[in-house]
Amino acid sequence: MSFFSEEQQFEMRELFFETASELLQALNEQGLRLEQNPQDAELVREVRRTVHTLKGDSAACGFEELSSLAHQLEDVLTPEIAASSKGKLVEAVLTAADIFAALITRYREGTQPPTAATLRAVVTVRERIRELVANPEPRHIVPYKLTGRFAWTEYEQIAIERELSKGQVVYNIALAIDPNCPMKAAAVQLVKNALGQFGNVLAAFPEASSLSEQIDVLEFALASSAPVESIEGKCRIPSIISNVLVERASLNRNQETGQGIEASSSDETDVFGVSEQDSDTAPEENAASAASTSLTNAKLRVDAERIDDVLNLVGELVIAKSMLMQATGEFEKRFVKDPLRTKFSDAMAFQARVLNDLQKSVMKIRMVPVEQLFRRFPRLVRDVAKTCGKDVVLQVSGQETDLDKSILDALSEPLSHLLRNAVDHGIETPEERIAAGKPAQGTIKLNAFHQGNQIVIECSDDGGGIDRFRLVTKAVERGVLSHEEAERLSDTDALDLIFHPGLSTAEQITEISGRGMGMDIVKSVIERLKGSVSIDSRAGSGTSFLLKVPLTLAIIKALMFRVSDRLYAVPLASVLEIARASSADVHRVDQHEVMQLRDQVLTLVRMNQLVKRGPVPVSKKIFIVVVGIGDRRFGLIVDRLVGEEELVIKALDNEIAATELVSGASILGDGSVVLILNLSAVVARLGRAPLAMEAVTA
Amino acid sequence: MSDGAKVRVLVIDDSALMRKLIPRILARDPDIEVVGTAMDGSFGLKKIEELRPHVITLDLEMPRMDGMETLRHITRNYRLPVVVVSAHSVNGASATFKALQLGAFDFVPKPSDASQAKMEGVAEALVEKVKIAARYGAKGTVPLREAAKVKKPLNRPNSAPTKVIAIGISTGGPNALQHLLSELPGDFNGALVIVQHMPEGFTEMFARRLHECCAIDVREARSGDVLVAGRALICPGNRHMRVRRMPLGDVVVLSDDSKVNGHRPSVDVLFQSVAKEFGSRSIGLLMTGMGEDGAEGLGTIKKSGGLTLAQDEHSCVVFGMPKAGIDRGYVMRVVPLDALPSVLVRSCSAPSRTNAKAGVNA
Repeated sequence: MSFFSEEQQFEMRELFFETASELLQALNEQGLRLEQNPQDAELVREVRRTVHTLKGDSAACGFEELSSLAHQLEDVLTPEIAASSKGKLVEAVLTAADIFAALITRYREGTQPPTAATLRAVVTVRERIRELVANPEPRHIVPYKLTGRFAWTEYEQIAIERELSKGQVVYNIALAIDPNCPMKAAAVQLVKNALGQFGNVLAAFPEASSLSEQIDVLEFALASSAPVESIEGKCRIPSIISNVLVERASLNRNQETGQGIEASSSDETDVFGVSEQDSDTAPEENAASAASTSLTNAKLRVDAERIDDVLNLVGELVIAKSMLMQATGEFEKRFVKDPLRTKFSDAMAFQARVLNDLQKSVMKIRMVPVEQLFRRFPRLVRDVAKTCGKDVVLQVSGQETDLDKSILDALSEPLSHLLRNAVDHGIETPEERIAAGKPAQGTIKLNAFHQGNQIVIECSDDGGGIDRFRLVTKAVERGVLSHEEAERLSDTDALDLIFHPGLSTAEQITEISGRGMGMDIVKSVIERLKGSVSIDSRAGSGTSFLLKVPLTLAIIKALMFRVSDRLYAVPLASVLEIARASSADVHRVDQHEVMQLRDQVLTLVRMNQLVKRGPVPVSKKIFIVVVGIGDRRFGLIVDRLVGEEELVIKALDNEIAATELVSGASILGDGSVVLILNLSAVVARLGRAPLAMEAVTA
Repeated sequence: MSDGAKVRVLVIDDSALMRKLIPRILARDPDIEVVGTAMDGSFGLKKIEELRPHVITLDLEMPRMDGMETLRHITRNYRLPVVVVSAHSVNGASATFKALQLGAFDFVPKPSDASQAKMEGVAEALVEKVKIAARYGAKGTVPLREAAKVKKPLNRPNSAPTKVIAIGISTGGPNALQHLLSELPGDFNGALVIVQHMPEGFTEMFARRLHECCAIDVREARSGDVLVAGRALICPGNRHMRVRRMPLGDVVVLSDDSKVNGHRPSVDVLFQSVAKEFGSRSIGLLMTGMGEDGAEGLGTIKKSGGLTLAQDEHSCVVFGMPKAGIDRGYVMRVVPLDALPSVLVRSCSAPSRTNAKAGVNA
């Protein structure tokens, strides 16, 4: 039984997870900014607000570990501590953010409590936070020595003082209860009886009424003229009392403690006074900014699935449009004089325009600024740099560039990997950099911009660059390349080796990167997104990666062509130009067919190899579609060009597209199916094959 | 404010979760309708124009226009009752009392535990306070002038009080108490014991704030604290407070007994023990607040020869508890808030004959 229905609770938890991840992201960013400006009081308040909300939300959902840690963190988030903690506060904030994330993951996975490891981490952070506020001399953390607090109530103090002023000796007595003592209440009674023999018990802690089994130290104030030793002796009751401390109470001592209390409470009021000032000034500062930003639009949260549904329907509409186009085309041919013709074509044009707008609007819904992805990276770079002992700054630009959400999500892993590599392998240590005449601090730049129907993400560092020679040597060592191949390798090709599975230039395998896998995964992810990755590196001055991905995966502009009567398409964005040639222009170099196009040599790929029907009679005139993949150009030999069209990509089941050569399919207005080619796979497979093919067909 | 019609509530909170949770709690009451939510102060103000709510629940810690600024706008320009939803923390409590000074009607602690019992308690308080705010709202929204910090008399002698004044107070209490206590002189002869209905975790900060702006000493009571002249002891939230006469002085004793009249602390518990221990030396005072807690205890004080007072209707935010005492015929004098300090000073000024008699009797 619970206050809310299960469904409501579930919904609330989901909402919590969603908002919590935003809060955590904000916390990370604020923490990093605080690291730069530890004196910024407004920033500290910002962090505190974030932690505060996180605390409230998690408490409301019953996530106790999280909320109590947040609570503790919130209490140390004061401008004073931030300014005096020498970065420790930031460290605590960031570590806490990690643990929050870990806890949330745990909570999300199920209702079972967090693992021991997570809880240990929680304890560590708590200690760290406690250090921040701890007094220089921690008095209470002496577990093995018995100490008494002797914090008597006001009335008890009066009683003690009265006895003292009469000249009576008063003892403050602390007794540690043996942890194995079975009945603590009985123990208290026994001790009280024992003390009663010596004199008057003036004060006792805990009071009899609030006695609990958790208590492990008893305290008494005793007015007695008996010597200390005999009191101690009587109190040491075997297996009940394990340790006894007897102090003489004095007027001074009591006054001191009294003053101690006063002093500490006035400290507290000081802190309080400051926080009051803060809240006094904050509204005034905020008022101006609030007025200027009050017109911001409210946001609407929608399931990505719903948008995908709409997008799918728009896709169907696009297909319907081309069906209609074809039908009107036929109609126009058949009834040339019919006045209905112009009406049809007007309506068609109108519909096409609206449909185009609709499609764009829906696409825009899916578009999110790349910032959503980029904002995670400053923290990552900082952490990796810290682990490697390097000094690195990340400069991010182009955050406002929009990108399809699903592509954005897919880019997260590869980009993280590139950045880790850049810090770990790219940027040199400060000493090396100074020796090379560079500033000690390395710079990594992350930039995003639109280029036609593509988005380009550039990740570059000013580190040592990639050692081509070592890369090639290793490739030969591992049998990736033969010696002959290695000698003929162009610079670009040599760099591309870095994407080969099993090759990594790091001399040591570190925890961060350099496991020899990763770059190939980067490449395959990007290619799955119908994008490309290229690399440029100059020894001594850095490396830069260029990732190009389409703006969206749902609809592409494509060039369609026929090969052996089958319809294929390639993304128009990859098409550089279309050339015509005669078969006489084709030459054979090594295992490749090449052709001279103006002043460049173009590697050719015979697309009819896609259809395993053996060689088709080669016509004299051939069409060549020149495509760019990364930095390289290839010429695709096709039978016939069909034209360009917007294709709505339909995902293919694995069974249908068992080949990596095809990345998707689409349906045209007339119902015919077109296969969309995965260019990099096609080139990799067919670009080298002609000899083998000849061997088979000869 | 609107009999028959539902209470229209606007929820302002920067946490999306709270914007879901609070309306859900309020929706369980058929007389309340949440007409909207807003994620920060500036949206909130716009929605007030648009939705015309009767009551607003407000989070104090928000980005952009924060709670305080929002509150200032609401009390200044709309005079709507605001129920502050506040956090359990030192900062939270401090901000809460500042909000009350600025004219917030009342506050409730933030829902902070998913467990059945805790949630029930929080939900009950929230619903109740929203309803009270809707009924008495306009009165509670008068900002209190900022209290100046006061110099305490040095070396106050720890002398026994002439009288023991027990005060029971609830909704509207923080401001009324500040008004009353800050007017009492540093050489005040009486000792005050106060039950203010307030959730756990807020009373310490409340006492501390009062201590700063009053010439008398104000503190949250701990068991064993002694009643001395010129000192006010405020019962901590979620505990009961009684007084007890001891050989070396009179003390307060706190306990965790179960709720009385649905309250812990309960005014009746305090009043009854004061009547029993101090008889004609006791003064009982019922101040602004909803309900009837303290009315019976006030009768006991009257019967045992003490003086019984009630705050007048005009100066009360909610004229509930005083009225309950008046209706039963237990109140000897009805006094406006402004006149209360001088009445108390006069009642405590000289050790009266009855006092001497009581001392002999004891």
